[in-house]
Amino acid sequence: MKETSNEIWVFGDYRNYFQNRVTLQLLARASELAKDLNARVCAVVFGYGVDEWVGEYIAHGADCILVTDHPDLARYQIETYVNLMVRLIEVRRPEIILVGATNFGREFAPRVAKRMKTGLSADCIGLDINEEKLLVQTAPSFGGNLLAQIITPECRPQMATVRPGTFQEIPHDYERTGEIVRVPMPEDLPRESVHLVRSERSAQRSQPLEEANVVICGGRGMGSRKKFRKLIELAELMNAEVGATRPVVYANWIEPEALIGQAGKHITPKVLFSFGISGAIQHTAAINNAEFIIAVNKNPKAPMMAMADVAIVADANQVCTAMIKELKSRIR
Amino acid sequence: MKKMLKLVNCIKQVPGVSELPWDPRTGRLKRNLAAGMINPACRHALEAALELKNRHGAEITVITMGPDIAEEVLREALAMGADRAVLISDPKIAGSDTLVTSQVLARAIKKACPDFDLVLCGCHTSDSETAQVGPQMVEELRIPGVSHVDQLELKDRLLRLQRLSDNFVETIEMELPGLVTVTTQHYTPRYVPLAGLQDAFGETEITRLTLDDLELDESLTGAKGSPTRILKVFSPVTEKENTVLKGSARKIVQQLFNQFDDKIGGAIGKDIKNYQ
Amino acid sequence: MKHKIVRKVVRDFSEAELGPIAHEIDRDARFPWEVIDKMRILDFFGLQIPRKYGGAEVDSISYAITIEELSRVCAAIGLCVTVHNSVGAAPIVRFGTEKQKERFLPPMACGERIGAFCLTEANAGSDASGVETNAVQQETGYVINGTKIFVTNGGICGYALIFATTTDLSGEASTSVFIVEKGMDGFSVGEIEDLCGMRANPVSSLFLEDCLVPLDNCLGSSVSGVRIALTALDTGRIGIAAQALGIAQGAFEAAVKYAKERHQFKKPISSFQTIQNYLADMATDIDAGRLLLYRACALKDEQKPFGTEAAMAKLYCSKVATRTTSLAMQIHGGYGYSKEYDVERYFRDAKVTEIYEGTSEVQRLVISRAVLA
Repeated sequence: MKETSNEIWVFGDYRNYFQNRVTLQLLARASELAKDLNARVCAVVFGYGVDEWVGEYIAHGADCILVTDHPDLARYQIETYVNLMVRLIEVRRPEIILVGATNFGREFAPRVAKRMKTGLSADCIGLDINEEKLLVQTAPSFGGNLLAQIITPECRPQMATVRPGTFQEIPHDYERTGEIVRVPMPEDLPRESVHLVRSERSAQRSQPLEEANVVICGGRGMGSRKKFRKLIELAELMNAEVGATRPVVYANWIEPEALIGQAGKHITPKVLFSFGISGAIQHTAAINNAEFIIAVNKNPKAPMMAMADVAIVADANQVCTAMIKELKSRIR
Repeated sequence: MKKMLKLVNCIKQVPGVSELPWDPRTGRLKRNLAAGMINPACRHALEAALELKNRHGAEITVITMGPDIAEEVLREALAMGADRAVLISDPKIAGSDTLVTSQVLARAIKKACPDFDLVLCGCHTSDSETAQVGPQMVEELRIPGVSHVDQLELKDRLLRLQRLSDNFVETIEMELPGLVTVTTQHYTPRYVPLAGLQDAFGETEITRLTLDDLELDESLTGAKGSPTRILKVFSPVTEKENTVLKGSARKIVQQLFNQFDDKIGGAIGKDIKNYQ
Repeated sequence: MKHKIVRKVVRDFSEAELGPIAHEIDRDARFPWEVIDKMRILDFFGLQIPRKYGGAEVDSISYAITIEELSRVCAAIGLCVTVHNSVGAAPIVRFGTEKQKERFLPPMACGERIGAFCLTEANAGSDASGVETNAVQQETGYVINGTKIFVTNGGICGYALIFATTTDLSGEASTSVFIVEKGMDGFSVGEIEDLCGMRANPVSSLFLEDCLVPLDNCLGSSVSGVRIALTALDTGRIGIAAQALGIAQGAFEAAVKYAKERHQFKKPISSFQTIQNYLADMATDIDAGRLLLYRACALKDEQKPFGTEAAMAKLYCSKVATRTTSLAMQIHGGYGYSKEYDVERYFRDAKVTEIYEGTSEVQRLVISRAVLA
């Protein structure tokens, strides 16, 4: 094992700052892990005109910031960022590097790990330090149905990408201070072999389904198109969005954009109503981040029922109709 | 004369889990019940390659790393229109993590198709879901690479890619040779034609490679050669403390709304308390 | 390995494309053109047609597996494919002149023209000698008159193979099979039958009223129609046995699933010995049927005589289908009787496998003749 400094790095993924809080969440977790390791938490920031984020990261838990601020870094560019990161690592030898599992992070981290010939766990939903002072990474597979605890015993740095929403950020403390290390932009970085022609914020807001607080999802168990469409009436009463499983979309009971599943949308509602869905993995993988699940199914042993917080053993259509009636009488 | 485009698709055979042949208590997949299938994203990458072949003419080599039974996915790919197939199979590779896998695949590509123009991979697998092998192969092969691509177009030696990355709509251009990982967003994988399937078992030889063929020392592969180590595997779906409601629909609904009026009411933004 | 993948590929297609609509097309008796179009490019309509003519000729076991897997999800479509291949295209492959093969097979292989075989008439079912449809030879062709009933694929067929008694120019009588093409003058399609099962298949009557067909449309020109019909039915048997097997398999799987999920007396009904016995019998029956079927397939592919074995397979598999679907419905209890579950459709679809393409009684005739020969 090579000598490492006692630093836990968090990659500063500041794009989409207000929706994407993963860097702050990682800073919070890193601070806790740092206590067990007697380490410092450093945020790594590459960009142009990034002082604002530097300040934020210190306020949210970073002890130190390693920042390279240069016009060439105005947009995220993978090869340049990888090269910068690798050079920094070779100089400062961090013990651990955490990267948010955004699309960028999931392309960036593996390339850094490969260059450093070290291990990387993907999309972790847990990070801990064990008795051997190793980082224990809890990574999901099979759509979250299986979890693995992974360690990187020898190679350094220990690396993980972490699923956004796993950890809670620390509220900002603008009294906090930290060291700011300004890393100069190297002159001799290789040119990007890939040309980013255009990178624009997506004009369409992310689909209603993915942002909805309440989702009503219907499956084949609803029986027919007509019966399925009753869920739409229920949804209107609840300010909810309607989603469906694959057989329903194939049968044309609802438009394809409503597909909730591995090949469709992943949802994270506060409340999910699941009607007549048995719970195949392709579907459940896309809903396991729902906060509260109410499932209605005639079959008490359907996998969906095991996943639910409230399992209603009854005919889905009857419950839907009863809910509509009850809501109309309760909501003034 | 224009050289024939050479495409390489790395595909993986994953367990075909649909109706959960899964034992939530032991966290084990009942593997004997789950037949294998081509990883969904790999199918989309293969479809992208087949469309390039349709449009520009190409030779597609499919490569997979796995036990002997992984031959099934190669045959399916051949049936869909791939031209050559390579199976990397060696018991010493078992237990490899992504770092090792990317190296093994890269070596195999250099051996089986050294003058490749484009490598296509699925963006991630439905079993391990790391999405790491593609980017790590880019580093190993030292070629340009872009992950998570929705759509691609080729003009001469310039590949034009579209993707949605962290809410940014991006257009990227890349010169061949290079590597892309393809998402499930754009392409519609074709079904396997039955004539193609017959042919796939007919003439085409599958090239088999072992670690020795790849000149890779076993210390660099398998669990031993992997920097990460799995301590434990478990299922999170332990017995969830859930409420079960039975009876007539009307009674159930009343009970539901009474017991959880805050939770549901809060989420829907309406007061559903029963004031009667 | 090949057969395993054929099964998987056809199963994937059937579940994705036929699964979601099977209930609706049975209820509405609708032929799903949108799925048929997809099946055309996947070579489903060329399975018994040589490559030379644009087909995708596959070995008999692959063929049986394909029909089984289609029927496991939607028997009516499995029926369409097997009739088109085994008794529509195969007779032309076997008995057609080279010119006929070049003319008729390519459009059949790509599914542009779907085939139907027309033997049955109001007064001629099992007794083929009672056929009244007649063809009188003229200078330029044959004038055919008659009505064929219960023609599978009748409502949508592009080519109908019509079995008729023939009178040639010199007055000699014989039997022949004629390829009558959709659009020919005097050839019309009757109303689609309202049947108990296989409802998505457009079974109908076909009317021939002074229909003049060219001389070249007489299949095999000098081959006896009886011989063509009997050979066709031999091959057809393998397809129907596979279809029956698929129906049984689908019903069986539904029964197993239901038995595990349904709880009575605080236990899943699968823990009761009676249900276990039923399931054990069903499983064994289906396996036995499958082996009979594959044996017939293997003999056929080895160019050995397979007629008796095919009859055994058809006889047995159709019986397994009716028995299994009945048990499956029983296991489902009251729910099995409701259209909300698929099992009643399987029950309705199963019965006809004991009737068409040679009733079970006729199959027994074939087998006993071989036994007593």
